[in-house]
Amino acid sequence: MLLENTLSVLLARFDFAWITSMHILYPPLTFGLAPLLLFSEWRWMKTNEEHWYRLNRFFEKLFIVNFGAGVATGVTMEMSFGILFGPFSQAAGPFFGQILGYETITAFMYEAGFLGLMVFGWGKIGKKMHLFATFNVVLSSLLSAMWILIANSWMQTPRGVKLQDGSFHVTNWYTAIFTPDMVWAVPHMVVAGIVLALFFVAGVSAWFVLKGRHVDLFARPLKYALLAAVLVVPFQIWLGDTLGVVIAHDQPAALASMEGHYHTLNKDGSPNTGWHLLAWPNAEGNGNAWAITIPHVLSMLETHTLNGKVPGMDTIAPKDRPPVVIPFYSFRVMVAIGFFLWFVALWAAWLAFKGRLSISSIAKNKWFLRTLVFSAFLPYLAIWTGWWTREIARQPWIVYGLMRTAQGMSPMTVGQEIFWLAGYVIFELTVWGGTWYFFSKIIRKGPDMDSPVVGEGHEHLGHLEEPSHDESASPRYVRPA
Amino acid sequence: MQHLSAMQEILATAWWALLGFSFLAYLVLDGADLGAGVISLFIKDPQEKGAIMASMAGTWDANETWLVVAGGVMFGTFPFVYGSAFHFLMVPLALALWGIISRAISLEFYHHAESSKRFWGFMFGFGSLVTPYFAGMAMGAVLLGFPMTSLHPGNAHANLGPFTLPTYSGSPLAFISPFSVWTGFGALIAVALAGGLFIRARFEKHCPVRETALTWANTSFYLALAAVVITVVWSIFLFPWAVHKWLGAYWWAWLLVLLATVFAAIKSRMATAKGHDLAAILWLNLVVTLMWGGMMATMFPWIVPNTWTIFSGASPNVSIITFTMAMIGFFPIMIMYNAYQWWVFRGRVTKLVAYGH
Repeated sequence: MLLENTLSVLLARFDFAWITSMHILYPPLTFGLAPLLLFSEWRWMKTNEEHWYRLNRFFEKLFIVNFGAGVATGVTMEMSFGILFGPFSQAAGPFFGQILGYETITAFMYEAGFLGLMVFGWGKIGKKMHLFATFNVVLSSLLSAMWILIANSWMQTPRGVKLQDGSFHVTNWYTAIFTPDMVWAVPHMVVAGIVLALFFVAGVSAWFVLKGRHVDLFARPLKYALLAAVLVVPFQIWLGDTLGVVIAHDQPAALASMEGHYHTLNKDGSPNTGWHLLAWPNAEGNGNAWAITIPHVLSMLETHTLNGKVPGMDTIAPKDRPPVVIPFYSFRVMVAIGFFLWFVALWAAWLAFKGRLSISSIAKNKWFLRTLVFSAFLPYLAIWTGWWTREIARQPWIVYGLMRTAQGMSPMTVGQEIFWLAGYVIFELTVWGGTWYFFSKIIRKGPDMDSPVVGEGHEHLGHLEEPSHDESASPRYVRPA
Repeated sequence: MQHLSAMQEILATAWWALLGFSFLAYLVLDGADLGAGVISLFIKDPQEKGAIMASMAGTWDANETWLVVAGGVMFGTFPFVYGSAFHFLMVPLALALWGIISRAISLEFYHHAESSKRFWGFMFGFGSLVTPYFAGMAMGAVLLGFPMTSLHPGNAHANLGPFTLPTYSGSPLAFISPFSVWTGFGALIAVALAGGLFIRARFEKHCPVRETALTWANTSFYLALAAVVITVVWSIFLFPWAVHKWLGAYWWAWLLVLLATVFAAIKSRMATAKGHDLAAILWLNLVVTLMWGGMMATMFPWIVPNTWTIFSGASPNVSIITFTMAMIGFFPIMIMYNAYQWWVFRGRVTKLVAYGH
């Protein structure tokens, strides 16, 4: 039967899927939250209003915990291509490795450098230099997302390479980078991070308002984040829809699996235009056992015409067919979350229009606030399911149409694969649990409203944890001019 | 096998030097952080422990990132080496990565934790211990080389089609040898020395932790001296190609490197004794640089001895454009903002310093 279904290949895929799923929990919040930190810092510098500073420092604490987890899980990612998918790394290295190499040189290091200055540089560097550092964190983290998605998009719609002597030689860098998938997948990922950050900020703010703590401080980011979401979420839905059209055109097998679309034509020979709301594949894997189907919608979605022909699974050779259940349901969960978040944002807009998001009345909308806290978790799930859809619907290919996953995996014993998985289950769950535990701890503790607002730098090179009885502990941090 | 043009061979060699530089930067910079972490395992006072973490707060991430840069350069320019060597090193790399993960998250969590503070403090130190040990072991294993095959025994029936580049397909435990077990300890001794000097340079002169660090620096200096001698002597028996090169036509150049290394080591020692903390670190870094450079030169043109050369392991797409972009553009910029960062965070701390946010 299919080579791809051997235990060894499934475990190799699962090994990588696990570390990817546990890594993608962090970077989207990093590159989504960084622009919001830049915004609040810029507002603080412009208006000199202290609450912008307090908000910035508070969300920065969450940002750095998240960033630490992202680095911890991210270093693994870079090494894992070689460890788990050595032959893929060798074959695709001339393009894929070069792109990841550029990511480390132009983005990862760039980010690490300025992040240190941004988080720990308060008071040590001037305000303008600090704002510049924050700006660089924004730029570098977005660059990082861009490079990673360029690399991944090339795996979806490979272009600009030719296979020679066992590896993909790049014939045209431009077409290899700007693949059909990349053009939409990069913004789709970036905006996903921004949506996550907006709902993260809104959810945390809503929690404070619900608890009646610092209502005046958090009412503002709550309103701003949701009003931004009114525009950003539909933009994201549009990006996703456009990406779907690209997938329909360039990865027909992936689309067929995402939509559970088995038959290109109906029995009478007319195009099968039905879109399944829910479905389950039959045991033979050549059709659905049952489905709730709406006619014409699939053609509308993928071809933007009423009766356009969408190639189904029956156009794909059986050995090249991707799994259906996970892409099908992951995709639906992602889309449903997208629309739900838009609904929440519109609800907020309506409340704002009615004047019910003002500081005096915001705390009364208990159910709205509870919905916001709940909604803060949803973008995480949407990002997960979106990524699963993308990766699983590409199977059995590691480089779509050119290299099979089974050809790309390192020759590993099942024992080796389980060793890896068991270790990473323990470590990544600890990272995840720890991160969210300390998120909640920092949130419960609330923003620091007492420390003096930092000034122009050159002030101190640290601050004291507690007043000391030890005379020698008094800070001697006078900086040389 | 592939053929590179003469120009590509020169470029591949330049990238190899850049790869060596990135690894060296990682060794020198993160080595000190890891060493300080190892020492923190033996420090009871939670404030002192926390201050050690705080003293590297602004820079550890960038320091560690040099490893990622090295990995990226390797993946981008030497993908054939990357795809086989990393798989050969699966087990030690996994263990080193788990150490890196523990260290990174413990640094953040320790300062927010209350009841779990002891646990995160331990994980920070333990992670800092595990990482250099297994990284050193991996290095020793690479020096011994590994067998390669184009077969795919895990998938004997797989239609590998055109993907027949030689890779590693042997036992996951082949990295274990007396020599690699030893190089792991060698790496630990080296980071302990660097960590001791780092703590001495980062804390106010009156802090008691500097005395502890001095003991570490003194002890590990002599251990390191012994370790280098043992490693070199062992190498003479293990690596005939190395001896051949050392005693070849350019024996005087190797002698000069040796003398320079000894000189730098003595200077580092003297600076430590006089309390010139920064100078002690810089001289030690020179020692590391000379030894690392000497090792790379000894191995040239092999990246993995008897397994991959610079030219057989390089990407067929090495091009003047990408290299120029990296060299003229990004590497100097990286070094510039790194240097600025160290300048900003150069101030000494006391044990009462809090994690700066």
